[in-house]
Amino acid sequence: LVLVFSPLPRLRDLLQRCWGRLEHGLLLGFSRSQIPPWGPALAVQAPALLPEPVGDTAESNEVPSLFDSILWMAAPKKRRTIEVNRCRRRNPNKLIKVKRNIDTCPECGNLKQKHVLCGYCYAKVKAETRLIRIEMGKKEGGPFNAPTTETVVLYDGEKPTEKEGGKRIIERARKRPSWFGQN
Amino acid sequence: KGSKMRLSVAAAISHGRVYRKFGLGPRSRLDMLRNLVTALVRHERIEAPWARADEMRGYAERLIDYAKLGDTNERAMRMANFWLTEKDLIHKLFKVLALRFQPHTGDYTRMMQIPNRETDRAKMAVIELKGNPYPPLIVRRRDTEKTLLNQLLKGYREDMKRAA
Repeated sequence: LVLVFSPLPRLRDLLQRCWGRLEHGLLLGFSRSQIPPWGPALAVQAPALLPEPVGDTAESNEVPSLFDSILWMAAPKKRRTIEVNRCRRRNPNKLIKVKRNIDTCPECGNLKQKHVLCGYCYAKVKAETRLIRIEMGKKEGGPFNAPTTETVVLYDGEKPTEKEGGKRIIERARKRPSWFGQN
Repeated sequence: KGSKMRLSVAAAISHGRVYRKFGLGPRSRLDMLRNLVTALVRHERIEAPWARADEMRGYAERLIDYAKLGDTNERAMRMANFWLTEKDLIHKLFKVLALRFQPHTGDYTRMMQIPNRETDRAKMAVIELKGNPYPPLIVRRRDTEKTLLNQLLKGYREDMKRAA
């Protein structure tokens, strides 16, 4: 059993009116023939008398009905002229700001923002660190084997100096790139 | 019906609030920052959203300060135990990072902004521990000798030497 009970007075009035119309229609049907051939227009399971909350009769007199209310919904009064529309659409706070902090990277020549790293150079460094990390993973063997000594990366044909005595050596099988100095 | 007046400040205004909120609550925020700190200590260079990296930076530097107190210090060990979820990194922290940063007083990390993430255009940053073995993120190039200004200055210096 589904009870359609709405607290809003207007919806309740609407339902009452629908129910009244339904009953009126049913009465007409009955006058024509004993058993109406068609089914009900609106099948709503609700109590025969919708309960009225206390102190409601005063309210229902003031509230205008749904169909002849002009105060209920906000609506524009006049058409906005194209001049007014243009003022709103072209107002500086709606336009996209011009960025003046774009420069060229001195290394690769791509565009970059002044306070941001160059995308190309960063991608280059990221690729190389990924390969170094693969080599480190091979050396460690499994997960959770972080070393307890420093690490140093050596490229083709480089020998570890005395300064890098106790460090873990990671070999990379390529020539040392120009942007990765040895120090 | 007339609308009623708002008699108290709405809770959604956040003027002047400086502390960030992350995750589902304070504990979730700490767990997330703890994951980031563990990742930083393991990999020594990570990419993360800028706000998270900024928040995590302070915690990472304070953790290194605690590590400098030494292995035997009870408070330092408890801090490292909480903040590093992978327990082999506690060895790395006390043996490698504390030694590496012994001469430095503070400023053990470097954080830089990188281009926005491709999927959701989030502001990203890369945060790394100084002294890591990877290639550097920025290379400072000295001006080459072949620029016009440097050639003129070189000529001037030679003229001065010849005159003297």
